[in-house]
Amino acid sequence: MDDKRSELKKIIMDTKTLPTLPGVINKLNSLSDNDKASVQEMAKVVTSDQVLSARILRLANSPSYGFYRVSTISNAMILLGVNVVKSLALSSSIFEIMEKNSVGLWEHSLGVGVAANLLARRLKLPECEEIATAALLHDIGKVIVSIKCNEAEKEILKLVRDRGFYIREAEREVLDTDHAEVGGWLAKSWFLPDKLSEPVAFHHDVVKSENHRIKTSVVHIADVLIKASGFGNSGDCHVPKIQQVAWDTLKLNEQVLSDVVDEIEDKLVEVKNFSLEMIGS
Amino acid sequence: MQKLPLMQAKAGMVLARDVFRGNSPTGMPICGKDTLLTDALIARLENMDVQSVSVQGHPVWEEGELSYDDLQRELDRRFEKTIQDPLNAILYDIHKAHLIKSMEGEGGRQEE
Repeated sequence: MDDKRSELKKIIMDTKTLPTLPGVINKLNSLSDNDKASVQEMAKVVTSDQVLSARILRLANSPSYGFYRVSTISNAMILLGVNVVKSLALSSSIFEIMEKNSVGLWEHSLGVGVAANLLARRLKLPECEEIATAALLHDIGKVIVSIKCNEAEKEILKLVRDRGFYIREAEREVLDTDHAEVGGWLAKSWFLPDKLSEPVAFHHDVVKSENHRIKTSVVHIADVLIKASGFGNSGDCHVPKIQQVAWDTLKLNEQVLSDVVDEIEDKLVEVKNFSLEMIGS
Repeated sequence: MQKLPLMQAKAGMVLARDVFRGNSPTGMPICGKDTLLTDALIARLENMDVQSVSVQGHPVWEEGELSYDDLQRELDRRFEKTIQDPLNAILYDIHKAHLIKSMEGEGGRQEE
């Protein structure tokens, strides 16, 4: 069993066989670290990728942002903020990788992204966009498992179907690792910052998240909320247990939860239309 | 209360929520809740780029849309493993209340 795990890890770390992030993202990252870079320069980088530009404009014009009409990338960058555009660029590449794989999982991830954003805003947390991006990424490990271990994935899904396992239990049984850990490896190999990789790696085990426990807690709760809504398809249909440590970290209470559920249910109608539109395009 | 794309809104329905310009609560308010929709009003909303409205009751049933009982059954199934947990029980109750609210007005009951 242990062989399987180290083998998988080797595959993940071997970047040649992995879906890679487009060069645009790396350029954007280095530009945004540079104080002297202007928004126009960054916009130019984004504009060099037409698909990405189209996606960003589409996202900037989507109802969830509520701006009227945004027609240029530099306007989008000024309105949304550089960090948001970076998150958007990252998430639209993730989308590309996920879209080909499974619409159900993409919808689940998109839903968790929306839920995490709403929850983070409601709790007035800093860096809502980063939290939403981490949430969007949280199940990326499942994509890798499905790309790299097609046979094992079938076995996993069979266990879920026949024995009522959580997908994570089934992954542990078959692969001796799980999608959260795999996602964590992937995030590391992409050199994503800890504030993104930690929530991905520990969204089922909030206790283990040491530096970014708040973000991890939001992603965990958002995952539970979307599973409770039954939106999208993440492999199994069971609502995971809400972890006490996440609840305490965020100082949640019934009222907050109820408000957020109302907001999420409302938003999910739009998300559904949006994802249909994205897939149709 | 049901949220509908404006295309499906018909004269005679009653708004359950205020409508804002740009579909965002930060936009300019256009029309208050409890307003009776008319064809003229719907046309005006269309001109103002409103995309969806929330109306009272549950007037539109789409093909393949699940009934209250089915939704309730699915909710129970999703929670079957964790309903004993006190925190999950709270979440379950919230979802159940939401489900009842979303179906409100069914069978002739039109009041909010």
